[in-house]
Amino acid sequence: MKLRIFCSILSFCTAVSAWTDHFSFDAIPNPVGIDPQVGAMDTLPDGRIAVAFHRGEVMIYNPADQAWSLFASGLQEPLGMLVEKDGSMLVMQRAELTRLKDTDADGSADEYETVFDDFGMSGNYHEFAYGPAKDAEGNLYIALGIASNGASMAKEIRGEFSEIGDVDRAGMSDSKTWGKNKGKAGRMYSRVKWRGWVLKLSPDGKKMEPYADGLRSPNGIGFDAAGRLLITDNQGDWRPTSPLYDIKKGGFYGHPASLVWRKDWDGRNPLKVPVAELDKMQQPAAGYFPQGELANSPTWPVVIPEGALPKGIVNQTLIGEMNQPTMVRVLDDEVEGVYQTALVPMFDKSPLGIGNNRIVFGKDGSIYVGKTQLSWAGGKGIVRIKWKGKPYAQLEKIKALPKGFELVFSQAIDPATLAKLKVKSHTYAYHQAYGAPKAGEQEIVPKGVVISPDGLKLTLDIGPLKENHLHLIDMSGLLAKDGSKIHGDKAWYQVVKAPK
Amino acid sequence: MKFFLVFLSLMSFGFAEKPDGAQLFTTNCSACHMLDQMVVGPSLVEIREIYNGKPEDFLKWCIKPGKKRPNAIEMPSMVHVGEEGLREIYVHIMKVAEGVKAKEAKKGDSYVTSPVQTKRPQIQRIFMPDAGPAAIAVALDQTMSLCWDAGQCRLRYSWNGGFIDGYPYWQGNGSSLAKVLGNIRYVEASSPFSDLGEPKFSGYRIEKGLPVFKYRIGNCGITESFSAIANGGGFNRSFTMTPASPAPVVLNFPSDQKVAYTSDKGKWVGSKLELTAAEASAFTIHISFK
Repeated sequence: MKLRIFCSILSFCTAVSAWTDHFSFDAIPNPVGIDPQVGAMDTLPDGRIAVAFHRGEVMIYNPADQAWSLFASGLQEPLGMLVEKDGSMLVMQRAELTRLKDTDADGSADEYETVFDDFGMSGNYHEFAYGPAKDAEGNLYIALGIASNGASMAKEIRGEFSEIGDVDRAGMSDSKTWGKNKGKAGRMYSRVKWRGWVLKLSPDGKKMEPYADGLRSPNGIGFDAAGRLLITDNQGDWRPTSPLYDIKKGGFYGHPASLVWRKDWDGRNPLKVPVAELDKMQQPAAGYFPQGELANSPTWPVVIPEGALPKGIVNQTLIGEMNQPTMVRVLDDEVEGVYQTALVPMFDKSPLGIGNNRIVFGKDGSIYVGKTQLSWAGGKGIVRIKWKGKPYAQLEKIKALPKGFELVFSQAIDPATLAKLKVKSHTYAYHQAYGAPKAGEQEIVPKGVVISPDGLKLTLDIGPLKENHLHLIDMSGLLAKDGSKIHGDKAWYQVVKAPK
Repeated sequence: MKFFLVFLSLMSFGFAEKPDGAQLFTTNCSACHMLDQMVVGPSLVEIREIYNGKPEDFLKWCIKPGKKRPNAIEMPSMVHVGEEGLREIYVHIMKVAEGVKAKEAKKGDSYVTSPVQTKRPQIQRIFMPDAGPAAIAVALDQTMSLCWDAGQCRLRYSWNGGFIDGYPYWQGNGSSLAKVLGNIRYVEASSPFSDLGEPKFSGYRIEKGLPVFKYRIGNCGITESFSAIANGGGFNRSFTMTPASPAPVVLNFPSDQKVAYTSDKGKWVGSKLELTAAEASAFTIHISFK
């Protein structure tokens, strides 16, 4: 009895064993006189960190002496950055993709070269521009957000105007009568070119190929370790909850506003196309971030390099999140060639906080998280996360089976806790309204859980999986054999394709 | 017995499905509403002040929100939460905000005096009044500024006094324009090169803190740079054309402005500048305010 009490105290102690046991979380000093909302970040070859801020400054942080230096300024809402081999930087700002070059090597950019600006701007605040992501051949991919009916267009626009829609050009750009027109414009609209699209640019930016459409507010674009182009989007109209997409050439990703810019579009107002027709056209999400539970506004995907995190999750994708105090780790799976994922919280219930807009890895294994809020909830400044190097219990892999899932953990699981594994599933309606509640949510009582002799692998029998359903595997009751909890104790697996 | 079982399962179903106000608040509201200060929407303290004792009004607003605050984004309808859920959220807000004092909202721009903002010259891309959305504001020195439009590759206007107040834009996330601080003294309705064809912007180079704008018209690369005439008296504007034009070039400047035009090359006919092909490869115009 005494022993049991001791054990339960011990397990209680280790059960609260938290992210802070394995990671340090420190705010790095902000540069003086700068609004420290981070729009973009990347790591320079020498390990310094380049950061682009809300008001357009690009500054370089040297972890060695914690000093900041100004590299460039005057950009407009930079939201993506890619450091090139020669130290120049590609920065995506509202109006263009820009290459910043320090031609006289004095430590600050003197050449602001326009790499690509052949896309429209309506002057609406919500037309953010994201990217670039670079593929193995050096092609660049940018993603363009659509406008919000929270405001009208400006009187002057850049590029062609699409006449498709119930409100004409004059009405779309008249802020005084906008209250009357906004309801007819669509919650989000794409009346100038390539809004809601992913564009593929040749390495020199001179050739552009419209690559995929149907996006809303894609504040995250990057290649995963397997070379898939991943995009995160935000819950809203036509988005029941925030999705993770594996972008394929020619794919339509659910938000219809951008369809007007298809070469073969028949001129119909996309808002009046039957939902069933749009649903048939759209590519399924490879993952869903359930609103409020995991993420409300997921951000940039990055690939976990060696050294920063335990070996078992190297090459996985890590994604930031604006509104929940967490990041999200992506567990890849593939069924009959279809990519689908389980999304797992990381650094939830840690000192990380909210506003996690951009993530980069330093050369010393640090994880730098840049925060922003813009006019929403969020944070400011940069948090440096450092792993202490000790292994901890977490879910490393998941695989869909004809009758359930196989889960692989980093630490042996205590078989006595298996009965506490819970499973639920639900789906979402696809509709124009803003967000959607869970539909058909049900608890699934596992028929059996088999644990491998080494305790690392669980085979969970829940019967045949339901396609187009998000399956929550709740591991919060599981303990590792050493009594510690599972770090990131929920996994949401989106079954696009159920294995036969 | 059967009855009892059904009753039980209904009970448990009802219990499991009863919405939790705090959880619903986190899911649906917390991104925009904080306890004690305005973020995107009003604080819970303020919401309590408005709606305490008026749950029906709260419900009405959540289902069909409107626009109350000129500087705030309109809330999306929360109809998907359902009436029962919204009532739970109401109870939650009234409870957590009780007795809490709202923090004084910070007013104005905390960075207005920062060296990064006050350095001159200064180049800032931002939404400007009376310009296209790809506008660039340039402070040439402490008193002379101008707005150059990268979408149309042309000067839009110039002013003296201060530079810009970008805070409405930055704070409003682009939903408001920057303000011009000073008096607009010169406006161009079209590019002086408009006869030559459609320009294409290719970026700018920085020399002594000032931009040298670059654009192409056909196969001709043009650079355009500016410097201030002392004491806000106007500005100098230098152009290069490469390769040199094969023919003489005529530039049209507005005739209705209160300025005097002079230049280091070419011949003025009213507000038209006639340049020989050789002169057009590099020349400077002085625009002095009268």
